[in-house]
Amino acid sequence: MTEALHADSLHTYYGKSHILHGVALTVAEGTVTTLLGRNGAGKTTTLRSLVGLTPPREGRVVVFGQDTTRWPPFRIAGLGVGYVPEGRRIFANLTVEENLKVPRGRPGPWQIERIYALFPRLAERRGNRGRQLSGGEQEMLSIARALLLNPRLLILDEPSQGLAPRVVQEVFAIVARMRAEGISVLLVEQNVRMSLAVADHAYVLDDGAIAWSGPARALAADEARVQALAGATAEEWRAEAR
Amino acid sequence: MTQLLLFNVTNGLIIGAFYVLMALGLSLIINLSGVINFAHGGFLALGGYLAFTLSPFLGFWGALLVSPLLTAALGLVLERLLIRRLYGRDPLYSLLLTFGLAFIFEDATRFVWGAQGLPVTIPDFLGQPLSPDLFFITWYRLFMVGVVAVSVGGLFLLLRHTRLGIRIRAGTLDLETVSTLGVNVGRLRALNFGVGIFLAGLSGVLAGGQLGLDPTMGAGLLMPSFIAIIVGGVGSLPGTLVGGLLIGVASGVTAVFLPSASEAVMYVLMALVLLARPRGLLGEEGLMT
Ligand SMILES: Nc1ncnc2c1ncn2[C@@H]1O[C@H](COP(=O)(O)OP(=O)(O)OP(=O)(O)O)[C@@H](O)[C@H]1O
Ligand SMILES: [Mg+2]
Repeated sequence: MTEALHADSLHTYYGKSHILHGVALTVAEGTVTTLLGRNGAGKTTTLRSLVGLTPPREGRVVVFGQDTTRWPPFRIAGLGVGYVPEGRRIFANLTVEENLKVPRGRPGPWQIERIYALFPRLAERRGNRGRQLSGGEQEMLSIARALLLNPRLLILDEPSQGLAPRVVQEVFAIVARMRAEGISVLLVEQNVRMSLAVADHAYVLDDGAIAWSGPARALAADEARVQALAGATAEEWRAEAR
Repeated sequence: MTQLLLFNVTNGLIIGAFYVLMALGLSLIINLSGVINFAHGGFLALGGYLAFTLSPFLGFWGALLVSPLLTAALGLVLERLLIRRLYGRDPLYSLLLTFGLAFIFEDATRFVWGAQGLPVTIPDFLGQPLSPDLFFITWYRLFMVGVVAVSVGGLFLLLRHTRLGIRIRAGTLDLETVSTLGVNVGRLRALNFGVGIFLAGLSGVLAGGQLGLDPTMGAGLLMPSFIAIIVGGVGSLPGTLVGGLLIGVASGVTAVFLPSASEAVMYVLMALVLLARPRGLLGEEGLMT
């Protein structure tokens, strides 16, 4: 199997604070890989290292066979890497339609009409400003924006954060749909049960280093490990499992 | 008295139009790149002087278009070599560098074109007054206001309807996210800087035709332009438009009754606006729509 993404011994800093201590991970092409971990474990920092926003000081990132370690974000995006950031970060001052004109689109099936067909809510609200959207609509817009790059790899940072349960279902359905379309996915999530259900492979990050990795199914079966590593408390885990 | 008032109101509007062009360019650059360009007035003067040198060859109309373009081209070169290094740094650096550039511009202009003022020849028919009653309003003044209106309109159309403009507005809010969407933000900032400098060069040509040229002509417009930005609300381009016209007219009207206060009134106006609306008239942080 070929690799969509491969990262090796990443050491990433914010100024003087050393956040990532040799993170290594791989996303096999056509699979969903989930990256789990407690608050502050370094999940967002890992993603930022991969997409070029906070380049690692040491280590190597390879995207579809190209060494992108020192590339600026726009060049990495140009390889077909869509990034849906934590907190959605839609452009609140622009309309939905304008938000969708910001990405530098790549040729492929994901054009504006198909986006509106997948997200009818966005089509209805195309003239509304970003700040007038609900959290769920903002998340859809953030995903739609990344899809216009016609990504071969989609990286999502806590897409279900703060959303109503019905919308969370929708977000995970989209992840499954992307996989079915042949897009590789790297998913950071707090929602452990649903992520493991949709993922093929899982990594657990703790204190800036990979503490566990293996098939998602194996991690889902090991409740004690999940509680210890993924940071879900026993109550949350049982509530989620219901 | 009415004539005098009318004269000064029109004068104020015209001066205000210059503040607007200058301030819009400054605002574009501040909003997207966080650089306060103290050399903006230097670019303005350069635009005027280039028109003076080029108009024998290109005529007034050719110079009106080509000088701002050349000014913008020089702006792009300086952005590439110097300004670019300021992005993301302490504003103190941008103050030091662009302040230094402003002095270099002024002295270079003096060195090339001389210290005394120079006239810019405008087409004869533009120099005529509208009518004997309105002897103080020449066609040229009307023409200037027209050019400013068209440029401002063009700028707003660019920002609203082109991808470049939409990306500039998005970048004003969150440049990092724009970069993850495949947009080369280095180029975006350069183009944005070029547009801002084009506007400065254009005001320089227009101002030269009305008031003649002088190496310090741009520096004098700088402070009022900052005031226009603050009065209108930092981050809001429509605010900058309103702010520029407002302080222009305010100082024009004050010139009738209390000539010595015509400059101070801008500061008073700014203080009053900020007391009532600390973010300026149309200010809403980071939302330049
Ligand atoms: N811009 C920054 N400057 C300095 N330190 C930072 C910065 N961003 C994050 N950190 C620190 O880096 C560590 C890792 O943060 P990161 O955001 O990557 O964690 P995370 O796993 O994504 O957490 P969460 O689940 O809360 O999103 C934390 O200790 C955090 O305080
Ligand atoms: Mg995070």
